[in-house]
Amino acid sequence: MNLAHLHLLLNHFPIIGTIVGLGLFLISLFGKNDDLKRAGLIVLAVMALLSLPTFFSGIGAEGAIQQLPGVSEPLIDRHEGAAILALFFMEITGALALIGLWQSHKFSRPAPWNVVAVLLLSLITMGLMARVGTTGGDVRHPEIWGSSTPPADDGTLDSIVHTFEPSPAKFTRLMTANKFWWAFMMDVHFIGLVMIIGAVGALDLRMLGFAKQISIASLHRLVPWALAGFALNVTTGVLAFIGMPEFYTYDVAFWIKIVGILLLGLNAAAFYLTDTFNVVEHMGPGEDAPPAAKIIAASSLVLWFGVITLGRYIQPYQNTFSGR
Amino acid sequence: MALPMFLQTIEDSSFSTWMRESESPFAFYFVLLFHTFGLALLVGANSLVDLRLLGFFPSIPLAPLKRFFRIMWIGFGINATTGVLLLTAYPTKALTNPVFYAKLAMIGSAIWILTKLQKEVFAGTTVTERDMLARGATLAKWSLVLWVGAISAGRLLAYTFRYILYP
Repeated sequence: MNLAHLHLLLNHFPIIGTIVGLGLFLISLFGKNDDLKRAGLIVLAVMALLSLPTFFSGIGAEGAIQQLPGVSEPLIDRHEGAAILALFFMEITGALALIGLWQSHKFSRPAPWNVVAVLLLSLITMGLMARVGTTGGDVRHPEIWGSSTPPADDGTLDSIVHTFEPSPAKFTRLMTANKFWWAFMMDVHFIGLVMIIGAVGALDLRMLGFAKQISIASLHRLVPWALAGFALNVTTGVLAFIGMPEFYTYDVAFWIKIVGILLLGLNAAAFYLTDTFNVVEHMGPGEDAPPAAKIIAASSLVLWFGVITLGRYIQPYQNTFSGR
Repeated sequence: MALPMFLQTIEDSSFSTWMRESESPFAFYFVLLFHTFGLALLVGANSLVDLRLLGFFPSIPLAPLKRFFRIMWIGFGINATTGVLLLTAYPTKALTNPVFYAKLAMIGSAIWILTKLQKEVFAGTTVTERDMLARGATLAKWSLVLWVGAISAGRLLAYTFRYILYP
């Protein structure tokens, strides 16, 4: 398997998943079903997470095919520009979905502003993702070109959307033009790291039996702080990737780090979607968490420190494998 | 201005050379990794206590957060050690950069605040939460500012140095 293969495996998730998430969310509004609403929000948040490796594998896919006959650079660039724009909207949608999930946890349903924002943003994301799919198909599937040879954004809506799509090469230069901008992004990435480890670490340690005088429920209030740190790090991480795509793409430490982050998504699912969260949330000060909660807390700690480790080793492991 | 010779002496030592030149993943990057772990433990735990003293997360009881000071000191121990090792690897790079001294000054002040928090805010067992907040809020604010400053200065060391090695 190479990165082109990985890209083809992953690229259906953001497109179809956004439709499924939005669909569940819409049905929940008509049926007034709060569980269904949560399911829709969860699907959208998962898609925001899965969109990251989908996007990251695109550069490797480009490297694998750009020398092949019949592959056009402008078509790849158009696809990549569309992908960057769609990714931004997908990540904002994912962040709004997590805010909605937090609100449903605290007030039993998302706030009205959140419902409107999720609807609007996921609708836009769905449209943009469809365009990413089409422009991506254009790269390798001339049979869908139709009457005109792409890149022809002559449909009115397509040409309007296209004006908002960045040029990948210009974006890359913009991120690396000033070393202090880069230093600032890395600085924010470290501050995000501290926010995540501070909050998640405290919660995990408590579940493992540390500082038992504090109830787990009260420490769980730190989760939005951790998510804010995660949002900072997704933002700065994606911008850094756009700044030096080849540096990260062929780096084994980078890819295992991404796998670690996806596993942390599974870890969160094991915590919230089983009975575990329900049990520990109702435990008072001094009470010992059940073994399932301890296993989840320990694996969360191991995974987060693993993610830091792999991030630290990105630099020495650049160019660990080749594109083709 | 001539740079002091001891910088070159340190760089020529076998440990310093090994840190810089070894291909082993357990050389320079391993020490740097633990410097990041220490940062996460020290500032992660300290920032929680700071935020709580500033009135965030009011549902968390204040006094038991005392337990987190041990984590901060473990983090500080890791970072003092790994910091000296990193300095041994690149003494000229660090000591000829004013940002490095700014970083040390901010860490020194933040640690001084940490000890004040521990002694003056979290020591007494009979002090009420209101008292703790009143005593700790200003310290907490400065602690956050100094830690953000120290992290930023540390990051800037990678972008602002004048020499990498003794010229």
